[in-house]
Amino acid sequence: MRVDPSYVSNLVSSLDQSQFNEQQLTAELSSGVSITSLSQNPVASGENVLLLNQIQQDDSFTQSSSLVTSQLQVADSSLGSVVSQLTQAVSLATSANNGTMNASDVKSIGNQISGILDEVQSLANTSYQGQYIFAGGQTSTTPFATSATTSPAVTTYSGDQDINYLQTPNGQRIQLNVPGSQIFLGTGTSSVFGALNSLIADYASGTVNTAQAVSDTTALGTALNYVSQQRVTVDNSITQLTAASDAVTSDQTQVTSAQTNLMQADVALVSTQLSLSETQQTALEDVISQLDSASNSLFSKMQ
Amino acid sequence: MGTISSAFGLIAGALNADQSALSIVANNVANANTPGYTVENPKWQENDPVQINGVSYGDGVTETGAASQRDSVLVARLDQQQQSASASGARLTALNSIQALFTPDSGSSTSTAGDIGSDITSFFSSFSSLEANPTDTSLDEQVLSSATTLAGDISNAAASLNTQRSGLDQEASGVTAQVNSLTGTISQLNQQIQSASPHADAGTLEDQRDEDVSQLSQLIGINQVTTENNGLSITTTSGQLLVSEGSSYQLTSGSVNGVTDFFLGGADVTKQLMSGGGELGGYITARDQDIPNALTSLDQLAYNVSTQVNNLNNSGTDLNGVEGTGTNQAGVTGTGTVPLYIFNEPTVVAGYAASMTAVMTDPSQVASAALGAGTGDNSNATAMANLAKQTIVDGLTPTDFYSNFVSTLGATVSGVQAENTAQNASVTQLQTQNNALSKVNLNDEAAAMSTMESSYQAASQVFTMLNTIMASVLNLGQQSTVS
Repeated sequence: MRVDPSYVSNLVSSLDQSQFNEQQLTAELSSGVSITSLSQNPVASGENVLLLNQIQQDDSFTQSSSLVTSQLQVADSSLGSVVSQLTQAVSLATSANNGTMNASDVKSIGNQISGILDEVQSLANTSYQGQYIFAGGQTSTTPFATSATTSPAVTTYSGDQDINYLQTPNGQRIQLNVPGSQIFLGTGTSSVFGALNSLIADYASGTVNTAQAVSDTTALGTALNYVSQQRVTVDNSITQLTAASDAVTSDQTQVTSAQTNLMQADVALVSTQLSLSETQQTALEDVISQLDSASNSLFSKMQ
Repeated sequence: MGTISSAFGLIAGALNADQSALSIVANNVANANTPGYTVENPKWQENDPVQINGVSYGDGVTETGAASQRDSVLVARLDQQQQSASASGARLTALNSIQALFTPDSGSSTSTAGDIGSDITSFFSSFSSLEANPTDTSLDEQVLSSATTLAGDISNAAASLNTQRSGLDQEASGVTAQVNSLTGTISQLNQQIQSASPHADAGTLEDQRDEDVSQLSQLIGINQVTTENNGLSITTTSGQLLVSEGSSYQLTSGSVNGVTDFFLGGADVTKQLMSGGGELGGYITARDQDIPNALTSLDQLAYNVSTQVNNLNNSGTDLNGVEGTGTNQAGVTGTGTVPLYIFNEPTVVAGYAASMTAVMTDPSQVASAALGAGTGDNSNATAMANLAKQTIVDGLTPTDFYSNFVSTLGATVSGVQAENTAQNASVTQLQTQNNALSKVNLNDEAAAMSTMESSYQAASQVFTMLNTIMASVLNLGQQSTVS
C-alpha cells in the first residue's frame, strides 16, 4: 500500500484548524456574542437587523409616549380647572337671575364672571414647554384674545383646526390635542367664551333682562357640558397612550430576549466545544511530537 | 559455451548497474524535500542472451537510466482542482473583507457604531420622536445628527468597497506578470523536452514543467493538451492559447472604464477569465460581481431614502414657518424659494451611496409641519417617520432591504466558504494520492538501498571467487605463481 510520506504536514494543518477553532471560541466567550460575521449565520444576521429595528422603535415610542403623556395631563388638568370655573360661573349667574339682587350685587356678579372669563382665557392659553396646547398647529401664537370694543365683547381664536396624532409602532393613531376653538368656541350655543361674554354684558348695567340672562346661563351650562365632553377625548388619549406604552414595553422585552437568544453566545455550549478542541489539539501535538522524535524511516535502523 | 572471462564481463556489468542504481537512490534521498520532484526508479534491463551452438546464455544486466514515477492524469486532475480551490480562495478573502464592513450589531450600545441597520432605525425614529413634540429644536437636531451618521456610514461603506475594488484590481493585474513568466518558462521547457526526450518521460525537465503548470493553475484557469513529441499546449479554460509547444503568448492588461481588463492575442478575455478559475478568476469575480452587487444595494438604499426624505421635507413647513418648494400629495406646492433638503439631492442611483451626505445644517429647517399648517403641526414628521414602514426601496422597507442585503451577502460568503472548504479537501485528497505515488518515500529508499547493497556485495563476492578460479586456471593447479 502506498502512503503519503508527508503526512506530518497534513497533521500540522489539522493542528492549525483546531487552533483556529479555539481562537474563534475564545473570542465568542470573551465578547459574549456568537455571531461575529455575516457568513457565520446569514439568516440570523438578517433577522438581527429586524429585531434591533423593532427594539429601537419600541424604545423611541416609549420615550415619546412619556413626553406626550405629560403634555396631555397638562391639558386635562387645565380643562378640569375650566370646568370648575364654569360651574362657579353658572351658579353665580343662576343666583343673579332669580331677581332678588340689587343692581350693585348684579354688577358685582358681572365682575366676578368677568374674572372667571379672564381665568378661563388664561387656561385656554395654557402652554407646555413654550407651546400653546389649545392652538391647533399654531402653537407659537397665543390662541385666545378678547376684544372689548363691542358689547358683548368678542373672544377670537387665532389658532387653527390642526390635530396631531402619535403613531404607535403597530400603526395605531392616538390623538394628541384638541383644537381650542373646538373646546371653547363650540358650535352654536355651546361656545364658552360666547356665553361668558354675553353674561358679562347682561350684568354690566345692573338691570337684568331675565329672559336673556336665563337663556345665556343655559347656554353656559351647555358649553360647560361640551367642555367636559372634549375633556373625555383628552382622557381617552391618556388611557390609550398608557395601554400602548405598556404593550410596547412588553413587546420590547420579548423582542430583546429573542435578539439576545439569537446573538448571545451559549456559554455552556461554547465552553464544551472549547474543551473538546483543546483535547484534540493536545492529542495532535502529542502525535506530532511522537512522530518527530522517533526517526520514522527505515534509515534509522540501518547501520 | 560461456567462459570465465564472459562471467567476468557479466559480473562487472552487474556491479556498474548496481552502482548507477545506488546513485539513483541517493538522488531520490537528496531530493526528498524538493518541491515538484518525482521519485525515480532505476530501469533494469536484461541483456540479450548469447546463442552459442544453439544454447542460449544470459548476458547480465544493464541499468538504462531512471524512470520518474509519475501519473500525468492525476497531476492534471490536481491542477484542475487547484484552479477551482484558488479561485474560491481568492474570492473568499475578498468577500471576508467585504462582510467585515457589515459586522452584525450585537445589540449592546457599544457595538452600534457604524452599523447601517441601526442608523436607518435611529434616523426614522428621530422623526417619530419629533411627532411627539414637533417644535422641539433638540429633536430637530437629533434628526440632523442621525441623518449625518446614516449618510456617513453609508458613504464610508461605499468608499471602503471602492477601495477594496481597486485593491483587487491591482492584485489581479499583478498576476499577469507571474502568468507571463510561467508560460515563458513552460514554452522553453517544452522545447528542451521535445528535443531531449521526444518519446519518453523527460524526468527532471518534466518535473519542472509540472511544477510550473501547477503554479500556473493556481493563478489562472487552464486546460492542458499533450502534443506530439512530449510537448504541451496550454489554453485558458475558455480556449485562448497561452502556450503552444515552444512558443508562449503574453497576457496583457489595460485600463478599460477605470478597471483593468485582460487581453490575450488582442481580444478582451476578462469575462472568460472571471469564470475560468485560479486566483485571477477569484479576484475578477469579487471585483466585477461581488463588490458591484454590494455597491448597487447600498446605492439603491441611499438613493431611495434620500429621495423620499428630501421630497417629504421639501413639501412641508419648517420650524421657522417657511415652506419648501416641493409639491405634497394633495397637489399643493410650497411657497418657499429654497428647497429644504436633508441629504444632497441624488441625480442618479449609481454611485450615490459614496457621495451621500447630510447637507442640512440648520435644525429649524426640518419640516415637521405640513404645507399651510402651523409650526406645531406634526403631520409631515409623521409622514417621514412612516417612510420606515413603507416599501420605498426596491419593494421593501429600508430596514427589510438592509436585512435582506446582509442575509444575502452572508449567504454568499458562507456559500463560497463551503465551496472553498470542499475544494481544498479535494485538493488535499488528490495531493495525498499524488504524494503517495510520486513523492520520495524514505522507507522505500532504505529498502531499495539495502537490496542494492546486498546485490552489490553478492556481485563483488562473485567477482572475488571468479578471480580465484581464474588464478587456479592460470596456475594449472599450482598454488604459488599467480594468486
